[in-house]
Amino acid sequence: MSTSSAISVQGLTKDFRVGLRGIKLRAVDNLSLEIPRGQVFGLLGPNGCGKSTTLKIVLGLIPATSGSISILGSPSATSEARQRTGFLPEAPYFHKFLTGRELVQYCARLSGVPAEKVNEAVEASLELAAMTEAASRPIGTYSKGMLQRIGLAQAIVHDPELVILDEPTAGVDPVGSAAIGRMINAMRAKGKTIVLCSHLLGQVEQVCDRVAIMDRGRLVLEGRVDEVLAQRDRHVITVADLTPQARQAAEAALAAHGATVTSITHPRRSLEDLFRELVTGSRDA
Amino acid sequence: MNARLTRTSWIARITFLEAIRQRFFAFLLVLSAVMVVSSVSLRFMDFGHSELKFVADFAFGGMFLFGSVLALVMTAQLFFAEIENRTALTLLAKPLSRTEFLLGKFLGTWAVLGVFVFSIAFLQGVILWSRTQELIVLAAETGRVAPDFSVSGLASFAVLQWLRLGVVAAMVLMVSAVARTFLFTVIVGAMAIVAGQLQWLAQEALLKPSDASVVTKSLLWISSRVIPNLQQFNIGDTLVLDPTAISGAAVWSVVLSGLFYLVAFLALASLAFRRREI
Repeated sequence: MSTSSAISVQGLTKDFRVGLRGIKLRAVDNLSLEIPRGQVFGLLGPNGCGKSTTLKIVLGLIPATSGSISILGSPSATSEARQRTGFLPEAPYFHKFLTGRELVQYCARLSGVPAEKVNEAVEASLELAAMTEAASRPIGTYSKGMLQRIGLAQAIVHDPELVILDEPTAGVDPVGSAAIGRMINAMRAKGKTIVLCSHLLGQVEQVCDRVAIMDRGRLVLEGRVDEVLAQRDRHVITVADLTPQARQAAEAALAAHGATVTSITHPRRSLEDLFRELVTGSRDA
Repeated sequence: MNARLTRTSWIARITFLEAIRQRFFAFLLVLSAVMVVSSVSLRFMDFGHSELKFVADFAFGGMFLFGSVLALVMTAQLFFAEIENRTALTLLAKPLSRTEFLLGKFLGTWAVLGVFVFSIAFLQGVILWSRTQELIVLAAETGRVAPDFSVSGLASFAVLQWLRLGVVAAMVLMVSAVARTFLFTVIVGAMAIVAGQLQWLAQEALLKPSDASVVTKSLLWISSRVIPNLQQFNIGDTLVLDPTAISGAAVWSVVLSGLFYLVAFLALASLAFRRREI
């Protein structure tokens, strides 16, 4: 168990009993993982790969069959560990009759924020989530993007060291996704550890320092984003004003040194970048 | 305030707000109020009893019936709404223990049941008082003894009914903690209420000398201990119309018995809920 890790998972296994005969279904299989402090960590994998089950076990919502987990040096599922953790569940649902501000106040009090500091903490988290203007409206009137952002505000209101976000951009348009990405970066700048579960690989690539990929309950890859994505035996040279003659000369020069040009293409920007560039006026508030 | 108490009171507060805004609560409250008010118009059906007794019994019946339905459905609904809407995921990921969560849900629901019981009891008090005034004038004219009712007896009865509904809510919460569906909880909860209403039969059978087998006697003994006697709370007409006929000790024994079952059911619910996967 490493004390420098935000989350340390050792040999975690979770079996579910299914049906009357109690057939065993293994959701997480001997998972070991160290999530360093102060980084944005992406937990990826297809549906049913065990990501959400792992997060639920980390948060103490379901017990593990075997293995151990610590959060910031404390055993998970303890009040102390939860005090230092914020959680945004997938597709969050909150009491519709409360206003955004009332919800965040409610969560602040449940998270142990002292009464005299609640207002200050609530306003700070609403501001970070860009929800100050809409905070007096009932949650029932919120759009999906606003629900995610108010969910984020309730997760960080007690200033946790670790924030776990389960699909924070699910169903949110690219502009809203970008806003959530900015909030994640703002939290990283404050030294928080963020664990991000997402299917939006483009966003994960942009905001995460490290990623882990799970499949069928097992960890199949873990490492720094730039390391795991780099193809060490391939190189990219970006050239401006490449004429056919210059291309021939470059290919000949490379061939003289035993290198082979495998493809020459134009650099592309992502569709998400293009969308955000074009839809500049759109605001989800 | 103690942190545990603060968290529990916030869960109770939000549960209360959620419940009080439901149409179901308003519907049952209005229905019960109509039943209490209509008791005056229906007093010709008094089956030979005194008029005030009929009016009181009619209102007690409404409080019992609709209060039981409210305690059963609302407790189950408020609990399962948190699980099915997955708000419980957000809340239980915070430094909030499952016992605090469950206790908060119970206290919020019990507070709503208190609003129901004391509103109906107040209305019943107004109806009884106004009818008593008319009967006093009538008695003076005819030279008969004027009827009366006890306001403190009515208040005591309201407290007892609130406690009875608390026992029912705790019982339903215990079923909810292990059940997977709302429907199952409501059906099993309804059966438990009926069993509680009939529990006195087991007690009587146990006290009567008989040649029943050891197994039967054991089952009767277990039934009379495990199931609360909900009939013992129905002493409204005595408390309200003839308070001298019942001793304070008898009332206190009902209160203590109710509190015992309430705490026991909540403790069992908490134990079961701790192991539940959310």
